[in-house]
Amino acid sequence: MPALGVLALVVGYPVLYTAYLSTQRMNLLDTDPSRYIGTRNYVRLFGDPVFWSSLENTAIYTFGSVIVAALFGLSLALLTENLLGWRFRSIRALLLVPWAVPFVVVAFLFRFMFLQDGGVINAVLLRLGAISSPVLWLNDANLALPSTMLTNIWTMTPFFFLLLSAALSSIPIEVIESARIDRAPTWSMVFHIKLPFLRNELLISGLLMVISNVNDFAKIWAMTEGGPGYATTTLVVYVYRLAFGDFNFGYASAIGVVWLVLLLVFASLYLRAIRTA
Amino acid sequence: MFNRLIFAAAVLASFPVAVHAQAPVTLTFANWADAEAATRPGIQAAIHEFERIHPNIKIESQAISVSEIARQLVLRVRSGNPPDMAELQGNDTILLALTGKLEPLDPYLGAGGTSVFTPQALNGLVRDGKLIALPWTVSPVALWYNKDIMKKAGLDPNHPPATLDELMADLAAIKKAVPDVAGIGIDTTNRVFSMTANWPWMQTFGADPIADDGKGAVSPAMTAYLSWMRSLAQNGYLQPGQKMGDFRPLAAQNKIAFTYDAVLLKGVIQSLNHISDAELDAHWGVTPLPAGPTGKSFTFDSGHNLGIFSGSQHKKEAWEFISFLATSPWGIENYTMKYETSLSPLKKAPSEALEKSLDTPLLQAFITKVMPTLSGAPFGAKFAPASTAVMAGVQQAVTGTMPIADIEKSIQQNMDKD
Amino acid sequence: MKRILQWLLIGLALAWSLAPVYWMVVTSFKDALEATRPVPTFLPEAPTLANYQGLAGGSLPFLSFFVNTTLSCLATAALAMLIATPAAYALSRGRFRLRGPISQGILVFRMLPLVVMLAPLYLMLLAAGLLDSLAGLVVGFTTFGLPFAVWMMKGFIDTVPIEIEEAARVDGYKKWEILVRVVVPLVLPGLLTTATFVFMESWNNLIFPLSLITTLAKQTLPAAIQLSFTGQFKTDWGGMMAASTVTTLPLMVAFFAVQRSMVRGLTGGAVAGA
Repeated sequence: MPALGVLALVVGYPVLYTAYLSTQRMNLLDTDPSRYIGTRNYVRLFGDPVFWSSLENTAIYTFGSVIVAALFGLSLALLTENLLGWRFRSIRALLLVPWAVPFVVVAFLFRFMFLQDGGVINAVLLRLGAISSPVLWLNDANLALPSTMLTNIWTMTPFFFLLLSAALSSIPIEVIESARIDRAPTWSMVFHIKLPFLRNELLISGLLMVISNVNDFAKIWAMTEGGPGYATTTLVVYVYRLAFGDFNFGYASAIGVVWLVLLLVFASLYLRAIRTA
Repeated sequence: MFNRLIFAAAVLASFPVAVHAQAPVTLTFANWADAEAATRPGIQAAIHEFERIHPNIKIESQAISVSEIARQLVLRVRSGNPPDMAELQGNDTILLALTGKLEPLDPYLGAGGTSVFTPQALNGLVRDGKLIALPWTVSPVALWYNKDIMKKAGLDPNHPPATLDELMADLAAIKKAVPDVAGIGIDTTNRVFSMTANWPWMQTFGADPIADDGKGAVSPAMTAYLSWMRSLAQNGYLQPGQKMGDFRPLAAQNKIAFTYDAVLLKGVIQSLNHISDAELDAHWGVTPLPAGPTGKSFTFDSGHNLGIFSGSQHKKEAWEFISFLATSPWGIENYTMKYETSLSPLKKAPSEALEKSLDTPLLQAFITKVMPTLSGAPFGAKFAPASTAVMAGVQQAVTGTMPIADIEKSIQQNMDKD
Repeated sequence: MKRILQWLLIGLALAWSLAPVYWMVVTSFKDALEATRPVPTFLPEAPTLANYQGLAGGSLPFLSFFVNTTLSCLATAALAMLIATPAAYALSRGRFRLRGPISQGILVFRMLPLVVMLAPLYLMLLAAGLLDSLAGLVVGFTTFGLPFAVWMMKGFIDTVPIEIEEAARVDGYKKWEILVRVVVPLVLPGLLTTATFVFMESWNNLIFPLSLITTLAKQTLPAAIQLSFTGQFKTDWGGMMAASTVTTLPLMVAFFAVQRSMVRGLTGGAVAGA
């Protein structure tokens, strides 16, 4: 019980404070104190195109990278499933390497690799003849978001791989054997026998990764600062700019509150879906 | 016995006083010079030297990233926890002044007042008749041109572009003759600094996107500026989304024809390829920004200022320190010029040796030709939010295909949010 | 044929995982000019240790950065588990109202943008006099890591059959004794997994150390990378990649050390955590 009390304080205080700020006109640069403006911040939010595009970018970035990374992780797990002993252990260790690279390093490393001139990705593609002139990975309105997502997928794939290969190995051997006797083809075995066993692992690990991605600031900020234009501006980036570029804490808090509500709805729907499974 | 007691009491009573006289005053100094590998040895040597001359003052340096310092300082001022002094620049200086917590420095100046400074060095630092921060390093920004590349393209290296039309013609000639070098370096990141850097270009076209009439972003001048930026990118002259600093290694390798950069580029180039002043002058020249429809050149000062917070308990000592950094011969020679490769804010160099060290063609071009074109951006509370909107628009212009008219409308709408 | 295809794909997967790391290491051995060539070299032409020497003997206290990061992240993991385990136990076993909403609310809180929490956190630490200290940093990291830790631990504790506890109660164990002597040993792999997650979250956190620490010698490694190599002058890619390599190595080692128990932890408990 005391532990719950600490928890309530640590969790509750910032949330309540944010909710309070969202009803204020509060700019840190103003010399006069903040004042109550009711729902004005919320009204403004609904007419703010950058808010809506940030919401969209957040959804694409989060779900897009989680889904692709889960598929990659699943493929890797299936690909290495029949390996045993030191071979499996060393390959698993090598495939896990990206997870151990800190986010800030990932961000700068990929920004460096994505450079238009001097970036290794363009250099390799040019040499292979896959492209004829350097591509502006992070500075093209259409490519910037996919490029940041690719970076994110790289860091996240090992997590799914680790979890799913553990889950694959825990499928009862009898299930696999009986399917083999029935001469089920490989694909059908994967889809009808193995995937159902992995379903829960996929859903839970997916949720864990959605949680850590929805808040991903370091990678996007270090790579694009939300640009070009607003192409990679997610909600975190937008809130950061509002709060610490413009010092407009009132409006930034209002976005925080709307965000909280949206997430509550999402989480309860998702958890319900898992439970009924 | 009684006498002894009195004596003991007297000793005890005098003790705190003595301690007070001896106890060093500790000053906190928030800065980014100490955070960066390039300048850290320099600022530490300066602090060391100052503490040697003033044994009663101790400087506690607080290393904060240049991109975070405004946010941190505003937060600290608002929560009543500011440092004694801080390194500031550009719009950040004005933001801190807006909080009302920067100490006006005029009372501390000597008899000459602000007249000892180059007038351009004070640009924007005098508000309501008060000096809000001390100019420290002066680093005007100009167009650097690479003489080798100009020669290779059949251009006269002694005739840098003076107008935008000439610049475009030169870029086209260079693209054709030397296709493996970058054309021009202009910062198009989305930061307040990049807005400050692009402001002189906007002025060249007569644009003022944050004008009070509420339609500054939607104007023929703005259309001209954004279209020009787009043409730079579409012709492959400009790498979009890069910081000013990203073009510097290219400059050190003679792989960029023009770059829009500060006087400190000299130091960065020399730290990378270790060439002498004479060699640098053989490869590079500087010229004011090419003139546009307005027929005038504009630029800005990317130098740094020093502020004292009004909450400081030791303002006199703080002034000793910041004036040591900014105006003492030791500070100018061993920090400003050596580590920042910048100019001092003083009208007249405080020593002959310093005067002589300014006598290179490059530095003289900065002092005589570029300094007079310093204009400065309209800093203030509106500038930071407007930067996000305007630079997002600039990025849309240089990276995408969105019609310029739509970009302008979107800039205006995003600026009018408040 | 099938085997060839399999190994081909595995080779591709390894290339995908390792190529960026290769690039990081290779760049760390290039000098400043070679690292920024418009056409990069795939192997350093003139390999140099200068970037590493710069870290070890340069003006920046990299050893302190390393010690600070390790200490604060370990302390955070320990503190978070110390609070999260009993809290999760109460949520898992308690029979009070609002139990469900609380567990869900905790999880959602973790999804709030960090930056929104920064201002209240700053004010809290200022009042407590913990700004610019590793202790303050640990408080910050814990605030952020705790909800997630509680949620994960609740999942693990939920899988412990209640009958075992009842047996212990019959034997006269007190409530905290049941938790410490019966439940904790049973969920140990889960506890380690959760602690690893908290540790990594803290190690990855950039914005808290950048905002809460002002003395360079107290800074953390990731923040120092951002602070020191992307300054006003230029981005020092060689130096940054050397620092990155040094930052990544310990995490990689730690990671391999715990991966086996993580596999057990993840497959054991998280599923029931729903």
